[in-house]
Formats: sequence, structure tokens, C-alpha cells
Amino acid sequence: MNPSSFFLEVPDDRRLWQDFLAGEVGAFEKLMSGNFRALFRYGSKFTKDREFVKDSIQDLFLVLWEKRENLNPDAAVKPYLMASLRRLMHRHITSRAWVGNEPLADEESYFDMEFSVEHEYIEHESTAVRMQYLEKLLQELPRRQKEVVYLKFFQECTREQISEIMAISPQTVSNLLQIAIKHLKTHWKIEFFIFFLVHFLF
Amino acid sequence: MERYNDFAVEDFVWDDFFRQWTLAPTPETDAVWENWIDANPEMLEKVEQAKAMVLSLRLHEPQIDDLEISQVVKQTVGRITRDYADGQPVRKMPVFSIPWLQFAASVAFIVLLGWTVYIMLIKPDETKGISTRETTKTTTTSNTKSLQEKHNNTNKTIVLTLSDGSQIRLAPQGRIRYPEKFDGARREVFLEGEAFFEIAKDSRHPFLVYANGLVTKVLGTSFLIKAYGNSGEVTVEVKTGRVSVFAQSDPQAAEKMSDKELQGVVLTPNQKIIYARDEVKMVKTLVEKPEMVVAKAEIPQFDFEDTPASDVFATIEKAYGIEILYDAQLLKDCPLTARLDSQTLHEKLSIICKAVESSYEIIDGQIVIHSRGCKN
Repeated sequence: MNPSSFFLEVPDDRRLWQDFLAGEVGAFEKLMSGNFRALFRYGSKFTKDREFVKDSIQDLFLVLWEKRENLNPDAAVKPYLMASLRRLMHRHITSRAWVGNEPLADEESYFDMEFSVEHEYIEHESTAVRMQYLEKLLQELPRRQKEVVYLKFFQECTREQISEIMAISPQTVSNLLQIAIKHLKTHWKIEFFIFFLVHFLF
Repeated sequence: MERYNDFAVEDFVWDDFFRQWTLAPTPETDAVWENWIDANPEMLEKVEQAKAMVLSLRLHEPQIDDLEISQVVKQTVGRITRDYADGQPVRKMPVFSIPWLQFAASVAFIVLLGWTVYIMLIKPDETKGISTRETTKTTTTSNTKSLQEKHNNTNKTIVLTLSDGSQIRLAPQGRIRYPEKFDGARREVFLEGEAFFEIAKDSRHPFLVYANGLVTKVLGTSFLIKAYGNSGEVTVEVKTGRVSVFAQSDPQAAEKMSDKELQGVVLTPNQKIIYARDEVKMVKTLVEKPEMVVAKAEIPQFDFEDTPASDVFATIEKAYGIEILYDAQLLKDCPLTARLDSQTLHEKLSIICKAVESSYEIIDGQIVIHSRGCKN
């Protein structure tokens, strides 16, 4: 995991944002390149179509440029960008499905996280089994819970940032998070033993 | 720190403070945790295990390299600094210039205008049609006045007859716009969705179909176009006659439209073009099930007895109107005995190739036979 990879990386986003709002193309360019990779990673959670993600990010910045005069100069830049991308992609995905090209249910419930377990940290077999199980539990989480867990633990977002990105109240964020973690823990206790046995017996 | 005294491994794994210490330790957090572990040595094993788990669980993020990013960024910057109207593609187009960008631009433009998704999806040809008409007006004298629109919202194919006698079979959900009467130098229609065209012959008034950025131009022929609003592909399959296709963004598009000859990529019967917006390319291939192009009475006997394979290929070539490239010298020594009237073209080819130890592939809408001959 790369701690703080996302939210602490570019300290001058605020300044770039304000220059961009003033119509500076240079600032627009820096803002877009500086945030592109992170947005691309986030966007890729909603679809496997990387061209679609790239197009969406481009659309997002074109829209921002177009309405820059009406944007809040004090917006929290990264959460705002993520929230806007999320909105834009969801709109496209739902509309695609509407026309019948994509199965709606699948796309809507889609939040894809791929994990890889770094074995250099693992000394005991039992830890490896726990990891495998943990991964399975994470994948089983419903979409919204998964997204909250992703933003909280893998993007180090605060509760307020998550609430802005996902357009839900901070209280809902806490609730979702609590349910998710409870799921990750309780299931663990009950099923872990069985999982452990199965792993070693078969 | 007392609250940690009865923690289990999994409690640590999802604890903020514990994670912070594990992932980004500072001298202060080190001190706090080390003190606590000294006071609770029985917790050491759990802490170690939780630590390993937190550290080992990596999120696998999709890769995108700097070059790819800077390309998109440059393209976007180019778009905002340039007037939309002059429509110059920002990205360099290899071989064919493809209106992928124009398409993206039109989509973005629609978004910018604050159009609802509903309108964007259900009536995209309207904006596209309007822009097409603007360009045609500036390039020719063609008179595209009031267009009629037909939207097939039934679940059956509907048949339309145009003023020149051409017939269009519009598949369900298809949408077509056409003038009540063709009176310009060209016959022009706008398609979204799938339709089969049987165009009345009139070599002085070329017939043009605009579909998702691809222009299909014909003089008189029948063909199928699939151009769904949100699919990345447009395909054109030719049944009879010849058609030419080119991208609407082609720098020479205007010239190709008005020329009496067929320019651009020319398709003959049983050929198919796949125009991929996203991949910026056109691929010529064969339709899935090629059909014979000769009249029923002229269908040859596919009953071969010790016939040189070269003659067999010549017969097939003629019957299907598809060019077959083979080495006649080599294959005249490969005799073939087979009865091939009921199989599809691909089955026929497979059987022949198996019999004479060769193979075939479809390249650029032609069939290429690879063989080493049968002399030994």
C-alpha cells in the first residue's frame, strides 16, 4: 500500500486551481497532468474499458474549463475532481446501459478492486491463509461499502472527503464504513476456522 | 492505549492508528507502540501478524504511462485553445484520419451545452446531422432542406421507400433521416442503428449514408450498415455492387463525396469494413457468411474430380466475387476430388486446404492461400 499516495502528493493544487479558474491554460495543463493518474485509477474501478476512463477524464476537464467562471475557488480540489469524474462516468454508464449495449445491473454494481499480496512481509503460513480470506471478504463487499473502504483505507481520504466524493452525508459514510468493517471482522471469526481447515485439508 | 489490550488481529488490521503506525511510522508513534508492547508482551504476536497483513495487502492499480497521459492532456489543451468550429484533429492520424475526435468533441460539446443524457442518447444524429449539413453546405451546392425522420420503435424491421425508388430496411431502434425528395447533386441520408440498403441505380447522383462519422458512398447497390450510437464500431457489409467508405473527417472527404468515381476504401460483394472509432482504424475483411454473387442459373457445379486446386479456386472466386490470391503454378499439380455444393464458403475453403495441405487467411478482404505445392 502506498500511504498518502493521493491526498498529500501535490501541495500546490490549490494555487493551480485558482490560476486555472482565472483562465490560465498552463495551470489547467498542470492540474490535469498532476491528477490524471489518480483519477485514472479511481475511474478504472467503475469499468474495465480504459479508453472510456481516459475519455471521461478528458470530458471532465473540458467541462471544468467551460464552466470555470462558476466554480468555487475554495473547493477541495482532489475530492471535487473525483466526485465530478464519478458523476460523469455514472451518467455515461447508466445511459449506455439504457440503450441496451451493456447490462445495466452489472455496470451499476461494479466497483472493481484488485489486490495483490506481497509475500515478502509474510513469515507464517497462517498469515498467508488469513490474507487470502481477507481478500475474499473484501471482494464480497457490496459496491458502496467497497468504495468507502477503498477511499478510506487505500486512498487515505477523510470522512468528509469521502462524503463529498460519493455525494452522501458524513454520517452515511460512517455507517457504511462500520457495516463494512463489521462484515470483515465477524465473518472472519466464524468462517475463518472452516476456511483454514479447508485450505489445509484439500 | 488501554483499549488495545483485548484487540484481536483483525481489530488491529482495520484500526486507523495502528495502520498509520504500520504504514508511516514516526519516532513518536514508534515510541507509543513500543511502550505499549513492552507493557503487554503477550500482544506481540498479534501485532506482528496484523502488521504483516496491513503491509502485504496491496491494491493492484491499473497502469498508465506518462506518455499516454501527456498525449491526452495535450489533446485536451489543444481543444480548449482552439476554436471548435475549425475542427482540426489534434492528434496525428495514422493512415486514415478518423473522426474519433470529432465524435468525442460532439459528445463533449453536447455535455457542455448541458444537454440531458436522455437527449444525447436518443437524438445524437440530430446534432451530428446538423453539423454534417453545415459542412456539406459549405463544400457543395447540394440542397438538403427539410429532412424527414423515421425512428423504428417497433420490434420489427420496417421498410421505407425513398423518392428515387431506393429501399431501406430499418432494424428496430434504428433511426434514419432523409429528404422527402432528392433534388441535389447527391442523395444523402443519415443513419443511426442498423439498416439494409437497396439503392436504385443512378450513377449521376451518388448515394451517401452518414453513420457515426463514417461516410458510405454508392452508385447503386445493396449493403448493410450497423452504426449504433454508443458502440465504438461502424460496420458496412456489401451484398451486391461496389461501395466506397471514408471517414467524415478525412481531409479529402468533400472531394470524395462529390467525385463521380468511387474513391476511399472500395468494397466489393461479400466484403465488410469495420471502422473502429476507438482504435483509430478501418479494417477490411469478409462478411461472416459470404454468399454467391452469380445468378442462380449460373451457379457452377461444385463437383470436382481430380480437378487441379487452382481451377477449384478460380471457380470459387468467380462464384463469390471475392478475390483469391494463390500460386496457380504450384496448385495446378494438386488434384482435388470433392463435392462442395452445400457448404459455406469457409467450409469449402477448409476442406480444400486440408485436402491439398495448404492453409488460407483473410487479408484485407481477400482470401490468401498459403501452399507449398503437391509435387513431392
